[in-house]
Amino acid sequence: MSSGLPWILPALVLCVGLIYYCIGDTSYISTLNWDGISPNPQHIGAQNFTSIFHDPIFWGAVRHTVIFYVVTFTAQTAIGLLFAVLLHSRVRLAVIYKVIIFIPVVLAPAIMAPVFRAMFSPTGQFDTVLQHLGLGFLAQPWLAQTTTALPVIMLITVWEWTGVTFVLYYAAISQIDSSVLEAARLDGAGNTRIIRSIIWPSVSGTTIALATLGAIGALKTFDVPYLVSGGSMGPNDATQFLGTYIYQMTITLDHVGYGAALSIILLVIAVIFGVALQISGRKRRMID
Amino acid sequence: MFEARRRWQRVVLQIVLTLLVLPYLFPLIVMVQGSFAGQGWTNFKDVLAVPGFWRFFLNSAVIAAGVIALVYVVTMLGAYGFSKLRVRFRELYFWMLLACLTLPEVVLLTPLFITGIKVGFYNTYWAVILPLAALQVPFAVLLTRNYINGVPDQLFEAMRVDGANAVGVFRYLVIPLTRPIAAAVVIFTLIGAWNDYLMPLVFLTSQKMQTITLVPSFFTGEFNDDQTKILASAVMTAIPEVVAYLCLQRQFERGLTAGAIK
Repeated sequence: MSSGLPWILPALVLCVGLIYYCIGDTSYISTLNWDGISPNPQHIGAQNFTSIFHDPIFWGAVRHTVIFYVVTFTAQTAIGLLFAVLLHSRVRLAVIYKVIIFIPVVLAPAIMAPVFRAMFSPTGQFDTVLQHLGLGFLAQPWLAQTTTALPVIMLITVWEWTGVTFVLYYAAISQIDSSVLEAARLDGAGNTRIIRSIIWPSVSGTTIALATLGAIGALKTFDVPYLVSGGSMGPNDATQFLGTYIYQMTITLDHVGYGAALSIILLVIAVIFGVALQISGRKRRMID
Repeated sequence: MFEARRRWQRVVLQIVLTLLVLPYLFPLIVMVQGSFAGQGWTNFKDVLAVPGFWRFFLNSAVIAAGVIALVYVVTMLGAYGFSKLRVRFRELYFWMLLACLTLPEVVLLTPLFITGIKVGFYNTYWAVILPLAALQVPFAVLLTRNYINGVPDQLFEAMRVDGANAVGVFRYLVIPLTRPIAAAVVIFTLIGAWNDYLMPLVFLTSQKMQTITLVPSFFTGEFNDDQTKILASAVMTAIPEVVAYLCLQRQFERGLTAGAIK
């Protein structure tokens, strides 16, 4: 058999070449005090990293990412699973519901951002709806307050990605053997019991896949906080994420060295996550 | 799944479902309603009258097509090599590729930004196509390799015995067999490339080169924060995506399912 190296070479050159080159370059730049243009950047060793560990905005961004991940993942799992179960029941016009839940997935976050900015502005439609529901006292400048800016970002994210969660759970539930469900019914299991004892364990593989996707997504978060806050990351950096902070440092403020150091930290977190998930996935398969 | 034998139970289910879906519909209604506020259709006419509005669509289409073509070719070749051909240190190479899976694109920002200035990478389609393709390839290869792994070796051997070389096997066996997974790869690459914001934001600063994801910011400047026209532009940029989804609904859903279940 001939060698397969020429076959895999294009993928390696494009991917490993470009990405590893970038990572190498980033590691080097992360040791500089540099604005990206000046011909003789100053070598400062690990100083960028030590400053990052004392940077409250960095820790804020880490905290936001963790909260964001936990909340959006939990909400999407609950809502997505509920939708999937409901649409597997005897309901009419199922296709229309599916389309409505899934359309947000295909729309670019960048295009929806102005819509959400308008919606959550002080005279926006969100407050109008609250008033109609008799909850007018809850109306507030959602995006302009530290306490509510991040929840709005999470709400938008849940709106955008529930479609994926739903589609995956819907497919997973289709694979459950219907005779198992019938048997459980005959034994007198109710709806909640069936969800808890049959459906939830059967879709655990999907849940793990979604947890992985969610973690990667949380680390990548950029478009929504950047655009919805209008480039300022909210009041007091309330919607600052690692991605937006790197962008701000590198492009807006010309602290290229600092931005590179932040990138390296983000990269390390992402790789640790990736490896941890791989290992836990392996363990699970071995138990199976 | 929910047991609903009686009529009233089915009505309750339907109502619960409708109430749940309303918040998902709401932003879409806000978008469409807002785009007609004030001057109605004139908002759309004004948006269309902006010189070069179609350029945004053209640019997005060129970039998406470029990323898809590059990802498809590289992935098919690579997945076949990784799955059925003998390569020294194969697993090592594969792991090097997989390590790029979790990589957030923003990590590439600094070096691409610096290199971009040096080599005149700026305001070219390549500045966006290459990094986007590089970021999509690991996942696409992982999916496609798993898919080809599921094809029995005997099929490949039979073709060999009949005198086909690796190129022949690739052309007459791998390409037709991988069509379903290729559709999935194309769909999620399309969503990724078409909706990407960061790369165009950084590398396409000339208005002639910009993509549809930059339309809202462009119109914020152009129309001095006139919300109705910004929303009209958002509706117009959303239409092709919604139409594409409605036409290829099944492929979209299958693409995602294949993507995550493996």
